[in-house]
Amino acid sequence: MASTEYAPDTDNPTDTDNPTDTGDTARPVSFLPSRIDRAVIAVVRVGVGLLWLQNLGWKTPPNFGKGDPPGGLYLSTTYAVSHEVLHPYALLVNQVVLPNFTFFAWMVLLVEASLGAFLTFGLATRFWALVGMAQTVVIMLSVLNAPNEWIWSYLLMVLVHAALFATAAGRYAGLDGVLRPACLPSQSWLPRLLVRVS
Amino acid sequence: MKPWDPLDRAALVLGLVSIASAVFVFASGELEIVRVQVAGVVVASVLGLLAIAAGWLESSALAFAAGVLFLLAGVVQLVLLAGGSGSFLGGNSSTFSLWLGLGVGLIAIGMVPRPELAEESPSD
Repeated sequence: MASTEYAPDTDNPTDTDNPTDTGDTARPVSFLPSRIDRAVIAVVRVGVGLLWLQNLGWKTPPNFGKGDPPGGLYLSTTYAVSHEVLHPYALLVNQVVLPNFTFFAWMVLLVEASLGAFLTFGLATRFWALVGMAQTVVIMLSVLNAPNEWIWSYLLMVLVHAALFATAAGRYAGLDGVLRPACLPSQSWLPRLLVRVS
Repeated sequence: MKPWDPLDRAALVLGLVSIASAVFVFASGELEIVRVQVAGVVVASVLGLLAIAAGWLESSALAFAAGVLFLLAGVVQLVLLAGGSGSFLGGNSSTFSLWLGLGVGLIAIGMVPRPELAEESPSD
């Protein structure tokens, strides 16, 4: 996909409307000057996207593991109560999430499917990187004290999403890189929104 | 050789990615990032070829159509999973996620305003 359309000098899309800006010389300048840097960021983004994508495989509707014996997503969710990490969160899971488990399980599936989809292809990457950080924290609060868990798995996930956000990783070999330049001049709300979240 | 519009090139790449995803029909265990079985190979190949045609023919409408069909395939996959019965598409939630990404990506490519043919700076 895009290998040459990079971040403009400024991150603020309104700056492109400013005639006093660098003007006709406003040629896109890469935030990451080295081709290797850009390739590495693209590989990291695709890898993180595939991580979410593959881990959807065991979140199986319609029961999501709720049964006898429990398994899958249901069992993981119950860890928030049986292996409590944070008391208010355990209370929330026990009182709200587990009684309405099917609804929350579908929400998890849709959010994580979107994380896999959007991060893999680099679309609206900065927004989905933030969602990925939030979702990682939720998972961490559920399973951190369960057997065989390692806190740094989750801290590393948070950090790698932070890196995707900070580098606007979808602009390198991602759809953001090709859509953003086409959307920058537009005044319609959808292209403007894409510019902001990419 | 004609210079590719980045949007058309992106549609072409998404089509190639879709066709490449068919390789997971041979994968199992930890390597099965996406579950693809025979019906999924057909979907990935046919819609992938459509996306490649969209890029090759520089057709926004075709890219949009391919995106809609990918989304439709993803939704069918999800509905079949929700039904709890064996899915004739043979995929799982990861298949839905892959087709969601391809679908939304191609729809975005089809919808994005195309800049006028550039006053290109012939740099060397």
